[in-house]
Amino acid sequence: MRTSKAERLADEELMPLIGEKNPDAFEVFYDRHGGVAYSLAYRIVGERGAAEDVTQEAFISIWRSGARYDAARGSVRTWMLGIVRNRAIDALRSKAGRAPKLDFDDDSILEHRPAAEQTESEAMERETAQEVRGALGELPGEQAKVIQLAYFGGFSHSEIAGMLGVPLGTVKGRMRLGLEKIRGELAEGLT
Amino acid sequence: MSENGHEHRSDALAAYLLGALEPGEAAELERHLAGCEECRTELEWLRPAVQQLPESVQRVEAPPELRGRLMEQVRSEAESAPAPRPARRQRVGGWSLRPVAGLAALVLVVAAVAAYAIGSGDSGGANTTTVVAGHSPGVVAEVVRDGGSGTLHLTNLHQLPPDKVLQAWVQRGKQVVSAKTLFVPNQDGTASATIDDMEGVNTVMVTAEPRGGSVQPTSAPIVSVAIPQ
Repeated sequence: MRTSKAERLADEELMPLIGEKNPDAFEVFYDRHGGVAYSLAYRIVGERGAAEDVTQEAFISIWRSGARYDAARGSVRTWMLGIVRNRAIDALRSKAGRAPKLDFDDDSILEHRPAAEQTESEAMERETAQEVRGALGELPGEQAKVIQLAYFGGFSHSEIAGMLGVPLGTVKGRMRLGLEKIRGELAEGLT
Repeated sequence: MSENGHEHRSDALAAYLLGALEPGEAAELERHLAGCEECRTELEWLRPAVQQLPESVQRVEAPPELRGRLMEQVRSEAESAPAPRPARRQRVGGWSLRPVAGLAALVLVVAAVAAYAIGSGDSGGANTTTVVAGHSPGVVAEVVRDGGSGTLHLTNLHQLPPDKVLQAWVQRGKQVVSAKTLFVPNQDGTASATIDDMEGVNTVMVTAEPRGGSVQPTSAPIVSVAIPQ
């Protein structure tokens, strides 16, 4: 298959081809999602070399097991980002001997900076990203913090409770309130 | 459930989606979810909020060398890969798994092990070898069916990193769902897990997942056992 033909296929149509070890399909898949994957890995591990390793491992994992994607459980992109996130958290934990050092004042997730290059699909992705950033930015700081520590830091709720010196129930309650608000913002964006 | 009780569950759902529950808590919640439609509905409503979090990160440009290395490896593997096999023979990570003929209710498959190398390699350089699945033989997986349920027995397992658990999955047709079973190896490298519903299952798989498990596999299977229909 020529790459130009693969480019016309949706992600869900690319995955069976990747499962059949079609490198052109994989190339298109990487070109679509490699940027956000690397950005997520970098956000979590905080170092370019480690982010490259994580991204490479994640995509090779997908190459070797692409047929395992299940369309009933979400988009290909969501599935792929879940793989990247888990591998990045793994890398963070093993490098730190568990406890990654996080800057509690790091609110880079709340920032919005345009990428150097922009395609139509990237622009659409950024609109979604902007909605999420907006929703996160409007969260009370303590809610945004527990969500970031859990999702981008890989900390459990009990670890977060220990760090912040607040009861476990408070941490979980802040997580719920924060996610509900983000979800609400997303729902509004769809109407 | 009381209003307070439900709020408690809602709090746990958020922590679960963020991967922040301890393994035991996650397993307990999964058992509750299996029988509570209200909580399942809430979980699915809340899930997009977590799924969108990675989209919020500041974009940084991936180095072009990364793409070059990836495609070099992928094209090299594609050239050496055998032709696709019939669907009944599961191919996982470049190796094939075939059921061994045996006793009526026993499926024994000698599978390969994916070393628990996720994130355990040297992350300081770009030449880290990626071990995903299928190159360290040793793990033996055995599925014993008993009516509608089954028991998965594993031996020769490596010990897991403290932040990892094993999670069992079942595949029916093309759909892979959690068997709602999280477990860890015993000291002697053995482990067992119950598969409550074997109806229509054509493959049983095990992956290493973060504590609390995952809603879908996020790594290549450590073992994959094809179940004859």
